[in-house]
Amino acid sequence: MQILSVTQFVTYLNETFKAIWDPNGVAIEGEVGSFKVSQGQWVNFELKDEGALVACFMVLGKLHLPIEDGMRVRIFGYPRIYPKFGKLSFNVDRIELVGEGAIRKALAALRAKLEAEGLFDPSRKRELPRFPSRIALIASRESAAYGDFIRIVNERWGGLEIDLYHAVVQGDKAVDSVMSGLAAAHRHGPYDAVVITRGGGSFDELMPFNDERLVRAIYASKIPTMVAIGHERDVSLAEEAADIRGSTPTDCARRLVPDKRDVLYEISQLHSGMMDSLEDLVEGYRRTMQRAQDGATRWIEAFRLRVDSLIRLIASFNPTAVLKRGFAIVLDKNGDLVSSTKAAKPGLPVSIRLRDGEVDARIEGSQGTLI
Amino acid sequence: MPELKEAKELLSDMTKKKTEIDFSKGFAELEEIANWFERGEPDLEEGLKKFERAGELSKALKSRLEEAENKIQEIKNRE
Repeated sequence: MQILSVTQFVTYLNETFKAIWDPNGVAIEGEVGSFKVSQGQWVNFELKDEGALVACFMVLGKLHLPIEDGMRVRIFGYPRIYPKFGKLSFNVDRIELVGEGAIRKALAALRAKLEAEGLFDPSRKRELPRFPSRIALIASRESAAYGDFIRIVNERWGGLEIDLYHAVVQGDKAVDSVMSGLAAAHRHGPYDAVVITRGGGSFDELMPFNDERLVRAIYASKIPTMVAIGHERDVSLAEEAADIRGSTPTDCARRLVPDKRDVLYEISQLHSGMMDSLEDLVEGYRRTMQRAQDGATRWIEAFRLRVDSLIRLIASFNPTAVLKRGFAIVLDKNGDLVSSTKAAKPGLPVSIRLRDGEVDARIEGSQGTLI
Repeated sequence: MPELKEAKELLSDMTKKKTEIDFSKGFAELEEIANWFERGEPDLEEGLKKFERAGELSKALKSRLEEAENKIQEIKNRE
């Protein structure tokens, strides 16, 4: 007979569990109950069906899904007896939701949580430059999405540098692959934008773009983000967190770069507008000069008329004209005008200027005032 | 003739720049000149200078759009 201590017994059982249980190959499926998080780091819940239940334990850091009571899940991990309490619980490494209904429910809960945190807030969306010159593209190099995106960019624009960060865009590795592309783009930058795109797919195939870690990484990106995941109905959380959302890879390319034909037209318009302005400016100058010239001409004309009338006025004062009419001018020998009887004393020698010459004479006497 | 040489270098710089122009900056400058004209500034001499510059820019931007191709490279070494 073998005697074991209690500790030895529990250790023996735990080692046996470890030896026989395949934590990756076996999952337990059931319904979640009594879900709770304690001290911000431990997760406890029960997994049950009609006949049984098992207590489950998990580290919060491993939980990437919003779990709530009543959800149907599959859990991966291993069973273990806690030595101190003698209770069996299942240590959970990973949880998967079962059924599209449950996944959609979890997705709605995650969407509500992130929305409440402001991850989708329109006011923090950044604008892309109108003419980007260098961008990072996270896509699968083999995908149709990549081909479509490049084709449309090439049709529309030239001179853009595109750095492709090849990524797996569906399946288990997609989240890490896209996140590592995003991190690498931040190291290789600066970029005007980082574009994350893939084509349409089933709900399951697109689930990586609803992953909380990826959504938060997009939200935290220092480079403006543009996300386009082609699909029919649902907008992924990654797209909601992005600065700009494209409905398809093609739409994404159209939003990223303008059509060069439009821009060429715009350049021509700008240039011809300037030409018109310049012509207006020259015309304005010409008109101003014309106005100045006209003004000067009018001024000169007025001046000339005034001078003419002055000349006529002055001419009317010309004494020779008076002589011609029969008047005479009397001067003394000094050549001073003798215009009064007071100056014309008898005996004064004078010179009388007539129409055609001068004659000498002498004052004979006075007859008193004439007027 | 050092002056001539300088002028030639300047010219080759200019033609080089026409293909390497920073599209965004060039376009912004063109728009700025267009705004200057729209404001109706009465400075003819300045206007002629600006118009000449706008002509150069338009030409450079157009040829850049018509000729430049997009460059795509894959970044493989991520560390």
